[in-house]
Amino acid sequence: MTSLLRRSRRQQPVDAPVISLTDVWMTYPNGKVALADISVEIPSADFVFLVGPSGAGKSTFIRLLIREQLPTSGRVRVAGRDLLRMRRGQVPDLRRRIGIVFQDFRLLPSKTVYENVAFALEVTGAPRPMVRERVPMLLNLVGLHEHAHHLPTQLSGGEQQRAAIARALVHDPPILIADEPTGNLDPVTSWDIIQLLIQINQLGTTVLMATHNQEIVNAMRRRVLALENGHLVRDEAVASYERRY
Amino acid sequence: MGFARFVGFSVVRAWQGFWRNAMMSLAATATVILMLVLLAALFIVIAGLNSGLEFVESKVGVTAELQDGLSETRVEGLVAEIEAIPGVSTVDYISPQEALTRLKAVFAERGEELDFGGADIRLQATLEIGLTEPEFARDVSLALTDRPVVTRITTRQQEVDTLVGVINVIRTVGIGAVGLVGLTVLFMIINTIRIAVYSRAREIEIMRLVGASDSFIRWPFILEGILCGLIGALVTVALVTAVWEPIQPVMVAVFQMPTAVSREFLATLALLLFAVGLGVGAVGSWISVRSYLGATS
Repeated sequence: MTSLLRRSRRQQPVDAPVISLTDVWMTYPNGKVALADISVEIPSADFVFLVGPSGAGKSTFIRLLIREQLPTSGRVRVAGRDLLRMRRGQVPDLRRRIGIVFQDFRLLPSKTVYENVAFALEVTGAPRPMVRERVPMLLNLVGLHEHAHHLPTQLSGGEQQRAAIARALVHDPPILIADEPTGNLDPVTSWDIIQLLIQINQLGTTVLMATHNQEIVNAMRRRVLALENGHLVRDEAVASYERRY
Repeated sequence: MGFARFVGFSVVRAWQGFWRNAMMSLAATATVILMLVLLAALFIVIAGLNSGLEFVESKVGVTAELQDGLSETRVEGLVAEIEAIPGVSTVDYISPQEALTRLKAVFAERGEELDFGGADIRLQATLEIGLTEPEFARDVSLALTDRPVVTRITTRQQEVDTLVGVINVIRTVGIGAVGLVGLTVLFMIINTIRIAVYSRAREIEIMRLVGASDSFIRWPFILEGILCGLIGALVTVALVTAVWEPIQPVMVAVFQMPTAVSREFLATLALLLFAVGLGVGAVGSWISVRSYLGATS
């Protein structure tokens, strides 16, 4: 079931950082400094939390990684690619190497769970046999095979987030970015999603999770990057979430 | 194989998009039809008038009425002099007797008999002067005015000038009208596709996040605009074909346009309608999608 995910992980050099930011500054045209002198390396197969209060720069950090924005200065490398030297035509290829899930799931309401996941393959020109093979495999992985033909509105919040995670994994990306994936979920369902992310991480995918959920960060005891007013105020291999966030 | 998948994906999504936003799509298609019907009418009228102009121009010549009683030698000399005038191609002497015969023939064609009531009517001798180009009519007329043996000069130049004037007015007004309607259609299509793009903003966002290329995002919308133009052109060509039978005799009789009956004319018109319909659809949707994708990339 997970052989495809495992196979591609072996192709990545294990010790090379899959995400690397060097002296990154991001200043908006209105003068607001969103990120100030950020240097971070995230190795392959790591599980990292990105924490900080609202407006700390978490969203900007994520937008830089998927090249929705470019930094004012500094260097950003993701999945072996220098994002500043990348041409516009190469961006789709980068984004196939990064899966991303959001707090609000962002599923298409008129499509079934199967169609939502398949859509992500179809719009990149994937052949039909590949769609027929990968979509059921991913729905199995996230435990949604029985809900394949349900519309998102017929699912619970946790199930919708599972569908979004399946969609994020269609291209077998080496990196999964989760932006507040438990923000709309109750505590029990949140832990379900975290368990799923751990499972995906154990298969070799680097997971970067932005969150406000103190309980999860403290319990997981993983590396934490803490941002405040655009500055990286903490980068600890095993850390807890400070109360003030 | 990859290209075929891309084309298939784009066509299917364009078709779905057209019907998902059916009211706006059909409104845009209706304006395309309006524009193309106007264009077809203009094309037919201008082609007819041009054909009529050619017919009149082919008949343009100068007729010089001569004094009575000119000797044969004098007439021959006059013919030779006129033949030497630049722009003159032929000079035919029509004797009074021959003129009378022609007049009788014209009456006979109408089924009447020429009757002068017993009077001894003698028609004037004339010279019918053919021209190499209709533009020479004025120069040739001027060259004849000083000759005392020529009593009156007539030409159809005025008819040509009037017709050219009418054609120019119709052409200018017609092109202006088609241009204005064309601009309206362009804005309708831009607006229709913009609404389609905005209504699928979430889809586009997801497509970008999962790594769809710009072509996969852009082309379904461009094809949706082209579909408006294509359906508009198909309907217009069907309308023109349906009214073609009654139009043909009018074209031939009013405009002296024998080419109107040819299939080639209809084929050229259909080609023009498809080219303009598809072109406006493509350009409108391309502008719309380009401005959106450019603003949100």
